[in-house]
Amino acid sequence: MFRETALNVRDKKVQGLFRLLFLTMTLLLILPVLVILGMLIYKGGPVLSIDFLFTAPTDGMTAGGVFPALLGTVWLVGVALLVSVPIGIAAAIYLSEYASDNWFTRIINLAIINLAGVPSIVHALFGVGAFVVFFGFGTSILAASLTLAIMTLPVVIVSTRESLMAVPQAFREACWSMGATRWQTIRRVVLPNSVSGILTGVILEVSRTTGETAPIMFTGAVFFTPFLPQGVFDQTMALSLHLFVVATQVPGVPDELPYGVALVLIGMVLLMNSISIAFRMYLRGRKKW
Amino acid sequence: MKLSRLTLPVVCLSAALLSSAVVARTEIQNKGSDTLVNVAQAWAEAYQTVEPDVAVAVSGGGSGTGIAAMINGTVDIANASRQIKSKESDMAAKNGIEPLEHIVGYDALAVYLHGDNPANTMTIEQLRDIYGRGGKATRWTDLGIEVPGCKNQQIVVVSRQNNSGTYAYFKDAVLGKKGKYRQGTLDMHGSKDVVDLVEKTPCAIGYSGLAYATDHVKLACIAASDPATCVSPSPATASDSSYPIARPLFMYTNGEPQGHIKQYLDWVMSDTGQCIIQEKGYAPVRRVSCQ
Repeated sequence: MFRETALNVRDKKVQGLFRLLFLTMTLLLILPVLVILGMLIYKGGPVLSIDFLFTAPTDGMTAGGVFPALLGTVWLVGVALLVSVPIGIAAAIYLSEYASDNWFTRIINLAIINLAGVPSIVHALFGVGAFVVFFGFGTSILAASLTLAIMTLPVVIVSTRESLMAVPQAFREACWSMGATRWQTIRRVVLPNSVSGILTGVILEVSRTTGETAPIMFTGAVFFTPFLPQGVFDQTMALSLHLFVVATQVPGVPDELPYGVALVLIGMVLLMNSISIAFRMYLRGRKKW
Repeated sequence: MKLSRLTLPVVCLSAALLSSAVVARTEIQNKGSDTLVNVAQAWAEAYQTVEPDVAVAVSGGGSGTGIAAMINGTVDIANASRQIKSKESDMAAKNGIEPLEHIVGYDALAVYLHGDNPANTMTIEQLRDIYGRGGKATRWTDLGIEVPGCKNQQIVVVSRQNNSGTYAYFKDAVLGKKGKYRQGTLDMHGSKDVVDLVEKTPCAIGYSGLAYATDHVKLACIAASDPATCVSPSPATASDSSYPIARPLFMYTNGEPQGHIKQYLDWVMSDTGQCIIQEKGYAPVRRVSCQ
């Protein structure tokens, strides 16, 4: 029969101690999230209403709602997604399914990693130089969304590639041995099996794009405009910039207004994320392996 | 699958398109000074009722940002709280742009103190001692002032970032053309940030537009030399130039303004427009009677 020795007892204690330590760290991780959300809901909750979401700011931005900014953010994120998702997925498919592992591919991979590390303000200045001035789009939704798209491309590419690579090689080989071409394999086997992972990348992109301020403030978002955007060549207000403006630039803003704007911003990200996550879970449920 | 991935953005975009009725409209690009940005915003907001088909899109960023945009030809009207520099007009000329100056109002630059600070007046010389490089005052006690709640009596010197028109004007007006700011100032990126910081910091002193005053900060009465003859900042003392640190606020256009831009500027200069700037805490270019 097994008897605990003194050594076993000590080992057990140490084990328990580490478990506790790691648990504490994990809880510490959630703490800021809870505090931030709690603060926002406590302070910004009272100003939230349907009216707040669907009216324009009034009285020198000290009253009224956020509608032009909300709509502007939807435009910016939407156009950025339309550009970056197809390009990003196509690039990831090439890198994971077609490219062989040579110096050229490795340089491309390095470039993607570096692109992901470029600070957003540098992307912003690039956007000004390239899209606003050189291509002559002016400060517009198009210029801002293209800047955002370039900034988030690495996220889409990397996450798509990871999820393509997670599809077992045996699946592809089985398909090829049935006489399918590479494209048929990708279309019928690889993509359907990796779609939930690809969606994760898109979720990440939506969240990041919604919150970005630097890349849009020089390229397409304005402090104030009385018009709602009607096309990609219009300028627009945006939620993230609007939050910066009401929090730091405008005197006489009631305290709860910036919190309300922040809550709308976070709410928008959470809403988009949960739609995608629900969709992802649905797809994963259909997975056959 | 591919279809459903596109559904979300497409739905969002079409919703966006539908939600705004399509009308013919003109945009006026207006960018620059953070001091003017809130007035510019108020003008843009009010102008909707005057000409519903003209949108004035307003951005901040600082006088330098606005003038740079004018030089690049990306704005119709640049806001500035300082005059254009000769270097800047040369660059504009190279691009075929002739910036034309319009004075749209005046701003009294207020010196902000914490509510507990016992000092009420500041002379230009004292400000120079606090802000200037090599200035004598690093502690409040150097000026014979004891601020309750201020540890070590060390002065927290609050300034602005160096592309701000307010930064440039305060330097010229207080430190002189050749003067330099001392090192170790806290450079804030907005007029309101200065006031917010001073409000919370007993040791602090800061300068910012009068329009950013709140009930929780003190505005110093400023004297050119003799403290007894100090003048308090107000729109009235700014426009009659009795207040020592008041400055004109500018809008620049490319050449003589035409069409919609001219109409907008004319409206800005009208009684209605000037009443709006007065209401925002700045001084109008002339005496106007407002409700």
